[in-house]
Amino acid sequence: MLDIKNLTKRFGDFTAVKDVSISVPDGAFLVLLGPSGCGKTTLLRMLAGLELPSAGQIIFDEQVVSDGDQSWSVDPAKRNSGLVFQSYALWPHMSVRGNVEWPLKVAKMPASDRQARVDEVLRLLDIHALADRYPNEISGGQQQRVAIARTIAPKPSVLLFDEPLSNLDAKLRVEMRTELMRLHRATGATTVYVTHDQIEAMTMASHVAVMNEGRVQQFGSPADLIDQPQTAFVATFVGTPPNNIIPVAKNGSGYKVGGRNMALSPPADECLAMYRAEAMQITDQPNERTLPMELVEVSAIAGRTMVTGLSKDLRLTAIVDRADSAQIGDTVQFELPAEPQCWFALDGERIG
Amino acid sequence: MADIAMSRQGRRVFFKQGTVLKIVVLLLLIALIVLPLIRTVLFTLRPDVIGAWGDVLSGRLSTNLFYKPLKNTMLIGLIVSTGCVLLGGFLAWLVVMTNVPYRRTIGVMATLPFMIPSFAAALAWGTLFRNDRVGGQIGWFQGLGFDVPDWLAWGMVPTLIVLTLHYFSLAFTIIAAALATVNSDLVEAAQIAGANGRRILMGIILPVTTPALVAAGSLCFAGAVSNFATPALLGLPVRMQTLSTRLFGMIEVGQVGRGYVIGILLVIISGLFLWAGNRVVSGRRSYATITGKGGRAKRFDLRGARWPLFAFAMMFLLASTVVPVIVLLASSFAPSSANLFSGWTAHYWIGASNPSFAQGVPGIVHNADIVRALLVTLSLGLAVAFTGMIVGLLASYTTARYREGWASAAITQISFLPLLVPGIAFGAAYIAYLGAPIGPFPALYGTFALLVIAGTAYLLPFSVQTGRAVIQQVGGELEESARLTGAGFLRRLGAITVPLAIRGLAAGGILIFVKIIRDLSLVVLLFTPTMPVLSVLAYRYASEGFGQFANAITVVILTISIVATLIANRLQAKSQPWLKD
Repeated sequence: MLDIKNLTKRFGDFTAVKDVSISVPDGAFLVLLGPSGCGKTTLLRMLAGLELPSAGQIIFDEQVVSDGDQSWSVDPAKRNSGLVFQSYALWPHMSVRGNVEWPLKVAKMPASDRQARVDEVLRLLDIHALADRYPNEISGGQQQRVAIARTIAPKPSVLLFDEPLSNLDAKLRVEMRTELMRLHRATGATTVYVTHDQIEAMTMASHVAVMNEGRVQQFGSPADLIDQPQTAFVATFVGTPPNNIIPVAKNGSGYKVGGRNMALSPPADECLAMYRAEAMQITDQPNERTLPMELVEVSAIAGRTMVTGLSKDLRLTAIVDRADSAQIGDTVQFELPAEPQCWFALDGERIG
Repeated sequence: MADIAMSRQGRRVFFKQGTVLKIVVLLLLIALIVLPLIRTVLFTLRPDVIGAWGDVLSGRLSTNLFYKPLKNTMLIGLIVSTGCVLLGGFLAWLVVMTNVPYRRTIGVMATLPFMIPSFAAALAWGTLFRNDRVGGQIGWFQGLGFDVPDWLAWGMVPTLIVLTLHYFSLAFTIIAAALATVNSDLVEAAQIAGANGRRILMGIILPVTTPALVAAGSLCFAGAVSNFATPALLGLPVRMQTLSTRLFGMIEVGQVGRGYVIGILLVIISGLFLWAGNRVVSGRRSYATITGKGGRAKRFDLRGARWPLFAFAMMFLLASTVVPVIVLLASSFAPSSANLFSGWTAHYWIGASNPSFAQGVPGIVHNADIVRALLVTLSLGLAVAFTGMIVGLLASYTTARYREGWASAAITQISFLPLLVPGIAFGAAYIAYLGAPIGPFPALYGTFALLVIAGTAYLLPFSVQTGRAVIQQVGGELEESARLTGAGFLRRLGAITVPLAIRGLAAGGILIFVKIIRDLSLVVLLFTPTMPVLSVLAYRYASEGFGQFANAITVVILTISIVATLIANRLQAKSQPWLKD
């Protein structure tokens, strides 16, 4: 079990993490997902023991390891966790083998066990041939593998990753994603993984915590986030393409939706309506459920076509079967389904 | 799944760390830097001394005590800083932005003058240009039969020239660094927009480097107004006083109170200009940190002006580096500076005492004073390098690791405070501070300890800067990842920090060593016959008319400085397998 209870971190007047509570079972793959500056890395550093919480507790396997209310924390090295840094933080003056071996030396593992363990993890990550190279003599992807090998060598029960793939190119990133999932199955370690890339979160996680401005917006499985977004932020941050959010305001007897009156029954006079991209259509002729938009993007995605239109501040994306003959810059009609998938209040909370 | 780490879990560590370290460092810095300054101010406020303020600022003597030296000081500051920015900026532009021939050579030579102590250049000037106005030896030009006019031999003009040729390399370093960060994209974007070379220079490069120009100007100003050696050697013989020579004179004749008052005013003036420069620059600082992909801006093609501009640059560079060294060396062998290059004798180096020669003063190898001064100077350099690096590392580690809180901000501010204090005023403050017993502690005047403590405090801005670079190099995630393994402080130090930082530490230590052994302004007031240092001996010999001895000692200081700098470079270039591509 990994338990986070009411965790808060303040730097002076600035609150980086606000009252976060998350709980995942052993062996879970928890992804902390959010835009930069949302507090996800601070949360990870508290898990690693590098930062002391201002309030709240962190509990690994029923043992409190950080307690912000009591202002104490178990030493980073003694909480049975390992952290892979975003920059990899390989020691430049040690060879690949030296980097992996040193933490085991510090842990006083006997020399013969140590050799065996180093060989084992180097093979596991397929970098055995590079053992005597120095970090600057290997590629970024290989450095990444060394950093992971170094972290898993002491067999931590909690593995922490700080945006590990952000320095890799797109193709390598996809390969390492698969590699990390294989590794997760092989070690069985509870994994906490920080990223701003929602595709990484959706593909790798067993549990996702979407964070914004220091708060957890929603905690659940990837499918939960897609099917049941709890806030407008989650609805627009998660999913490919993201959902469409359109402001709705009461206008006499009807409701004004994106500049046109439509017959809707929203739960409040002013609120936000969410429409999925695949529920929208593009039509040739205006009707009572269409919005005229300027066509700004067309792209082919897996045999279908993603169409994006812009009208003042409103940006809508639809997934349709075939490419429209319209040109970029033309006005096209985006047809909304009869009812939105769900409603959010103006503050972003889900209301129906 | 938990075999290694689990077994060691359970020791709970109280976290509120940093507080003790912060307090220790803060107290240390207060004792080293703040207390001497406060004690100096308090001394001038004592009932029997407070009259010194009136004497200096409004009394009958105030014109000679303060206002005339102030006028000279301001004139020196303004002209020298203007000249330095023009000359340093011109050279920086040549090296960084144009296709002038031998760019690298110009770049290296432009950083050298700052390695040569300013009294070396002043001594060399005297050796060449002295005339017979104040008696003693005449210079080389006079010896050749030229009639060197007074204004060229003494006073303001030579002071301005020597100081400009000394401080321009500071301006060069700052401006070249700023020009090097000018993103090649910026220049190329202007080229695509159709701007020509002049337009790019005036419209893009100059505005972007304005903060560096202002910073260079204010640092050169502060350096020039607080310089002691040059106005003392070239101006004092014709009674041209600056605030720093006045301060020295007052303390030498025992008018300590007046001296301190002048010192405080000097600190205020140089501090004011640095502060004003900082004000102008701040808020626009983001200019200086523009970074981009590597890749050089396309160099400005000088075409036909390449060689003429090269020659023009070399004229200044030779005058500020090669010429003074040759003159000093030749003079240390020549029987008189009127005949620099004939009748050489090694007497000033290895001769025994001979009543018919230089009033019986033996060559510097046989001169017990000088040998002792050499030992004291070298020990002082080593001791200050050692203590300076320790305090510098401690302060920069504390502020890097525990960034929050007023204490860290105070540590940063205080450690850079000595930059505002001219060396001679700092020396005066240390006499006020440790010259008399404090409680149970004895007076330190005339002891080696005083020199070490004052030197450490005075050079703290440099050691903190070096320490910061070292911490940045090895701190952060590299150290954190070592902490995560459970390695203790000493283990991390031995296995991670020191191997990675050793080059930076050694180079920083040598930089401090060189700075202290060629310093004159700080030690000139702390000097006592029992604790002689080379630079002050050179100054004394020069002012007593023994130019050759002064020049020979200066050659020794120069040689040590150059050798130490070469060792530092060597250390940095030492092959390290993890650094090769």
